[in-house]
Amino acid sequence: MRKIFSRTLICTLIMLLSSLTANAQVEEFEKYSDMKNVTYVYISKAMLTLAKGLTAPSVPGMDMKNAFGKLNAIQIITTESKAARAKLKAEVADVVKRDKYEMLMQVDEDDSKVRIYFKDGKKQSVILMSTDESNETSVIAFSGTFKIEDIQKMTEK
Amino acid sequence: MERLNINELNIKELEQIPIPEGLEERLSAKIDEWDAASRTVAIPSTPHRGFLSPDNGGTEGGAKTIEAGRGSWRAFALAASFILVCGIGLYFALAPTNKGTIDTYDDPQLACQEAENALQLLATNLNKGMAQYEAVNAKSRQAEEILNKQLTKLN
Repeated sequence: MRKIFSRTLICTLIMLLSSLTANAQVEEFEKYSDMKNVTYVYISKAMLTLAKGLTAPSVPGMDMKNAFGKLNAIQIITTESKAARAKLKAEVADVVKRDKYEMLMQVDEDDSKVRIYFKDGKKQSVILMSTDESNETSVIAFSGTFKIEDIQKMTEK
Repeated sequence: MERLNINELNIKELEQIPIPEGLEERLSAKIDEWDAASRTVAIPSTPHRGFLSPDNGGTEGGAKTIEAGRGSWRAFALAASFILVCGIGLYFALAPTNKGTIDTYDDPQLACQEAENALQLLATNLNKGMAQYEAVNAKSRQAEEILNKQLTKLN
């Protein structure tokens, strides 16, 4: 009886803790899931683990198995609405400034501006890629346990 | 084996059978002992009832120990139940409001494809940036070579 109670208590604590620490993504972007004219995609670690087991993903020049293993979540926010684009850009600028992201790359082309930021956290690292095109703005946040070396590997062809 | 019907037994004849001396006292003492033991084990209906005092057959120290253990165990069970209820409540209260943490895809295949596209885009942009950096670096080296050549001529 005592064992059952102890186990129940431990399970409850684990459940509580996991629910509190489940935010493995950039929390500031969560609000876009409810916003009108905004497409919000969230892929959790559980789904990535499932996907890893089901298929053999391939991206040229990338060790996908390694990349999938280190990812905790992917958030993709896309919008064509003027108001939402302005808000999203301001949000990215705010997050980058506040959380002290480092700019990795800036690619300016005629029709698009791409910014890639990186935050090397103790518990979690984030790669933030914002793409601003003439009629669309998109932000992709990759959260995981990767290091700058892993990003370097992505550029090796 | 021949069976005896209870109705056929003659009560008067049974009463004549001699009872061993002291059996009645011993039996009642045994019953009292069992009663005392059952009271010590039984769960009291109120927190302060059920204490055994020496006059009703129990030892005070032993009963108190059992009662104290039971009290702490009850507090532990109460705390565990409270945490359990709060945990479940919190879990379900937070989950539906936080849509940003709900998987968009139910199909892992689709999720994989989306993740692959996102990573592909990241790799492409990183490579674009690296290509631009290489181009600028090459131009810079070229300019440096020309400058060095001119400086050598001047010297």
